[in-house]
Amino acid sequence: MAKKISVAPFWGCMIPVKYPQMELSVRKTMPAIGVELIDLDQFTCCPDPIYFKARDKMNWLTIAARNLAVAEERGLDIVTMCSGCTSTLQEARFMLAEDPELKKQINQRLKRINKEYKGTVKVKHIVVMLRDDIGIERIKASIKRPLTGVKVGIHYGCHLLKPSQIMHIDDADYPSLLENLTQALGATPLTHTEKLLCCGKGCMDDEMPLEMTYEIFDSMESVGADCMGLICPTCFNSFDMGQILIARKKNREFNLPVIYFCQLLGLAQGLAPEEVGLHLHRIKIDRIMEMIGAKEGSVEVAA
Amino acid sequence: MSSSKLNFEFRQRLNKILGGEHHNYCYQCGACVAACPAARFSDHFNPRDVLLKTLIGDEEDLIRPDSIIWKCTNCYTCYERCPQDVRPVEVIIALKNLCAQEGVLPEDINKFSETLVKTGRSVVITSTVNRRRQELGLPELKDVNMAELQTIIE
Repeated sequence: MAKKISVAPFWGCMIPVKYPQMELSVRKTMPAIGVELIDLDQFTCCPDPIYFKARDKMNWLTIAARNLAVAEERGLDIVTMCSGCTSTLQEARFMLAEDPELKKQINQRLKRINKEYKGTVKVKHIVVMLRDDIGIERIKASIKRPLTGVKVGIHYGCHLLKPSQIMHIDDADYPSLLENLTQALGATPLTHTEKLLCCGKGCMDDEMPLEMTYEIFDSMESVGADCMGLICPTCFNSFDMGQILIARKKNREFNLPVIYFCQLLGLAQGLAPEEVGLHLHRIKIDRIMEMIGAKEGSVEVAA
Repeated sequence: MSSSKLNFEFRQRLNKILGGEHHNYCYQCGACVAACPAARFSDHFNPRDVLLKTLIGDEEDLIRPDSIIWKCTNCYTCYERCPQDVRPVEVIIALKNLCAQEGVLPEDINKFSETLVKTGRSVVITSTVNRRRQELGLPELKDVNMAELQTIIE
């Protein structure tokens, strides 16, 4: 039996509150690949890299450093589920390593609550942990219902990869991380023209995100995608609900289910759609379930 | 352009904000523009223009709730592309911090970040949230240690 790894899951704010199905899919799929999740209840918001950071970068960095220190105290590395949390925590680590004077200032603030950020904790988005610490072979070994024939339009989002100077994850222009993981599930990852386009959710504009979503889905549809595979709750917000808005405003129905990577992993591990919360999505996945030969319920696995 | 004079005082204020000082390195090459999604999808946003206005010190145009800087999608492509380590998105965020200092944040940003200051989370937990979590077999979300947070933020 391969060895187990223990990590501190950083759920963030959007996933546990708005999209708990993503949390559910992580909790359900990790045991089969030897990941133990040790919840730390002292974590706060990462804090978010768009709105709160816009208000005060020093407070943003201080709260991020506190979260990092919380995991450090327990000797656990952090696994993030959201690209925004990944961005904040990784950038905080980078800034504090780049500027020792800044680190001193932040630690003076943390000292008021008897905490210190040392710089030993690592932060990984869950898909990076899957690639680097679990590995493709072990993921494959957990698969009971391969997603054969399912064409997944990959969407990276922005904050997993960029800036590569900070993120150190993959080539920001020609990434392969999600393609390789998707392939491990037996599915067919599809590259498409707008694979790396931003979802637009981070700007203060109503029209732009919708236009971007439209282009992304148009590009995915043109290569014959059956669904979209993604890793970020903010992008999900743009795309699941976004397709409903596009149907209403632009009279075009894409009807492509938007699926978080661990939900895809769960389906491939033989879990039922409800067990990974797919019934909570606006765009339903019935067609995908027909394709993989299971209309409802978990697959019975022979001993 | 609202002023014909360079406003160095404004630039010095920006220099004091984390990441703001990198605006000084910009030589206006435009590498940030080509892959900028906000430049592609909006008629007005252009990161090089924002940096030019910053170098000139056009405070009047930049520091306001309806400033063009709020159209930035925070995608970090400009940070990826910039050969001068300007980190344009971080300069834009530093400009947003100046908006906050001047009390001219857009209402949505104000509301959202206020939620975090008050609850330690950026999304409010309602009883419906915990009920849904319970139905899914997920642990209840508890309140954040606000005493600690309020001690470290200024």
